[in-house]
Amino acid sequence: MTSVLEARGLTKRFGGLVAVNNVSFSLEPGEILAVIGPNGAGKTTLLNLLSGVYRPDAGQLFLNATDVSAKPPEYRCQQGLGRAFQIAQPFLEMTVLENVAVGAMFGAKLNLGDATSRAEEVLELTGLSPKRDEPAHNLSLLEDKRLEMARAIATNPKVLMLDEVMAGLRPTEAKEAVGLVKRVRDTGVSVLFIEHVMPVVRDLADRVIVVDYGEVIASGRYHEVTSNQRVIEAYLGRDDLEEDGAA
Amino acid sequence: MNFVSRGWGWSLLLLALAFPFIPFGDRTQFVQQIAVFVLSSATLALSWDVLARTGQLSLAHAAFYGLGAYSYALLATAGVPQILAFLAAGVIAALASLLLGAVTMRLQGMYFAIATLAFAEVIKTIVNQLSFTGGPQGYLVPALLGGDFLGVYYLGLGVLVVLILISSFILRSKLGFAFTAIRQGELVARVLGVDVTRYKLLAFVISSFFVGLTGAFVAGKTFYITPPSAFDTGVSVVALVMPIFGGLYSSAGPVLAAVILRVLEEVLKLVAPSAYLIAYGAILVLSILYLPKGILGLLERFRGRK
Amino acid sequence: MTTFFQTFLNGLLQSGIYALVASGLALSVGVVGIVNFAHGEFLMVGAFIAYALLAAFGLDPIISLIPTAIILFAFGALVYRSSLRHVLKAPELNQMLLTFGIGIVLTNMALQIYGSTPRTMNVAYQGSSLQFAGLSIGLARGGAFVLAAAILAGLYWVLGRTRTGKAMQAVAQNRVGATLIGLEVDRLYLIAFGVSSALAGVAGVMVSVLLYASPYVGLVFTLKAFAIIVMAGLGNLRAVIPAAFVLGLAEAYVQTYVPDGGGWAEAVFFALIFVSLVWRSWRIR
Repeated sequence: MTSVLEARGLTKRFGGLVAVNNVSFSLEPGEILAVIGPNGAGKTTLLNLLSGVYRPDAGQLFLNATDVSAKPPEYRCQQGLGRAFQIAQPFLEMTVLENVAVGAMFGAKLNLGDATSRAEEVLELTGLSPKRDEPAHNLSLLEDKRLEMARAIATNPKVLMLDEVMAGLRPTEAKEAVGLVKRVRDTGVSVLFIEHVMPVVRDLADRVIVVDYGEVIASGRYHEVTSNQRVIEAYLGRDDLEEDGAA
Repeated sequence: MNFVSRGWGWSLLLLALAFPFIPFGDRTQFVQQIAVFVLSSATLALSWDVLARTGQLSLAHAAFYGLGAYSYALLATAGVPQILAFLAAGVIAALASLLLGAVTMRLQGMYFAIATLAFAEVIKTIVNQLSFTGGPQGYLVPALLGGDFLGVYYLGLGVLVVLILISSFILRSKLGFAFTAIRQGELVARVLGVDVTRYKLLAFVISSFFVGLTGAFVAGKTFYITPPSAFDTGVSVVALVMPIFGGLYSSAGPVLAAVILRVLEEVLKLVAPSAYLIAYGAILVLSILYLPKGILGLLERFRGRK
Repeated sequence: MTTFFQTFLNGLLQSGIYALVASGLALSVGVVGIVNFAHGEFLMVGAFIAYALLAAFGLDPIISLIPTAIILFAFGALVYRSSLRHVLKAPELNQMLLTFGIGIVLTNMALQIYGSTPRTMNVAYQGSSLQFAGLSIGLARGGAFVLAAAILAGLYWVLGRTRTGKAMQAVAQNRVGATLIGLEVDRLYLIAFGVSSALAGVAGVMVSVLLYASPYVGLVFTLKAFAIIVMAGLGNLRAVIPAAFVLGLAEAYVQTYVPDGGGWAEAVFFALIFVSLVWRSWRIR
């Protein structure tokens, strides 16, 4: 069983700073993988590398066993890699339906008519149908995030990548979002998501990888990873430990 | 954005087709010249709009206009049949734009605009310095279709109609979505699977083809070109003022603006021969301040109130 | 060898004015965020004010500098208040066009009043020059350079040492952040744009002496100023001066050493803009 997404030794430098350092992991079909780590650990940079916004300085990326390391974002999307941004960036002058249709038209390569139908479906799935003809600049924060996800889903991804979609959501909204992700997974989509809200990670993730200073420092199930000493140190910060005389 | 609904579109087309036969008495020559001018301006404006739909705000139109003008002039003088030379002018301009588009692919907004402006100025200087183009002295241009008004008019009209059809097709199709998505968020569009490179270049090529044709058209009508006139920055300015005044990202807006502004310009020229540009500039300023969606936007507001 | 150094000197002196004009534009673009396509026309207005004062009152351009600066500051502030302020939030395109329109109005008003023939300023020192180590420095040219340098030094002092100046730098570096910490941006914009216009006007006075006053003199300077701020990087007020040097020198050398250099010199600026913009755009990712 080949992994649906496999990263080997991905590295990205910005000037002297190594933002992502030799990161390797694999995502299995139907799996939900969480990427966690302290702020500034390089998680979003990693996501940018995966989606093709950045070119890696070293390493490779395989999508369904195809090497996409040098391919642009649009190619990766057409091959099944969908992504929702952390800060929602809707096409402001288009309606909600049109926004989602763009994903269906180009990511999923449907014609105009089919794309519109698919977009309607996805709006239904994400609860955005009432806002169908609303210009995207009129949406609330929550609706923005849903739109962000809807667009990515509409591209018919095999891998869906989410970046901190739970931030700022109330517990009920977060629960809804978790349900949505599970429903998407049930349609055969593998999910990789970055998250800070731990209860969500516990609920949703099949597996967790922890990133700190651009490196993978732990990988495994939620309970394994959260009781890992190195992970705890990373989150608490080494200073605290030194102060306590433990380092 | 459907102001030019079927009914209006057809009536305007009929009017345009019948135009040369409308008697204007002793003003006929004058009116006819304005009409041809309106046609070429409308083509220029609409082609700029098509490119602008992808967020590429080009100030290089003067370059492709001039390239079209000189291509036609040189080819027709060398004996190439006029219609071929005419079409070749468009093709040459389109190819040049492919080059420019590819090179400036990663430039956004104002940086892109300035780069295209710089490009246009460089091209102007090169043509000015070369000898086979006649340099600063200019070049004689074989009269398009022998200067026959009817022929010239219908050629210009034909070109405009084709462009309008292409523009409308784009607006209603997947292409329109691609262009708009690229304009409103290029990176996001990429991540959603839009082949940005291909669509941006396509827009450039379509746009510049028609700009090249327009350059050839005007050259063949004025019989003489010089680098400052063929590559006049004013061409780029007109090309972008009109869509903004008329209503961006539409087929009707640029065309409407061309009609209104050119006619206005001629009227102003009669009234105040040297001061009409002041009025022009003032109109531009006022329309930016008070008509953010252009004339079309204004009309839509009225329709909304009905 | 002397030609080499003379060319260097000419380029250097010319870059003084370029730096002045470009700094004005940099303030407008960097601080206010407006791409002022009429910047050259403000320069043109300054040139004509100097001309008018000379023709009507025999006022020497050196003295005209001060009233010109004041008039242009007021004019810039007026333009900002009445029109620019309203398009700050509009798409860049609209701002570009607004200033285009203003430029067209100004150029053609000047055309109406003065006609298209350039007006030269007949001042005593216009033709004279200093001879130094085999090199020749035009008196007017050298004086303009010194003046420009002094003004720019003053400008950068204000930017770096005064509260308003530092606030302006803050806005240029991070517009959103600046508003968040409560800076009263509208007043800053007004001052910045006024200063920008005043700088253009002062440069215009110099241009009127070194060249002439003409309705069309503006466009060329707008474009060159753009070249400079683009090379310096938009919003980067400090890099404007080195960029001005580079462009001034490049222009001078092309003019001297390239056959028919005068014709090609114009293209140099533009070729440089184009290449530097494109080069930079391909380096990220």
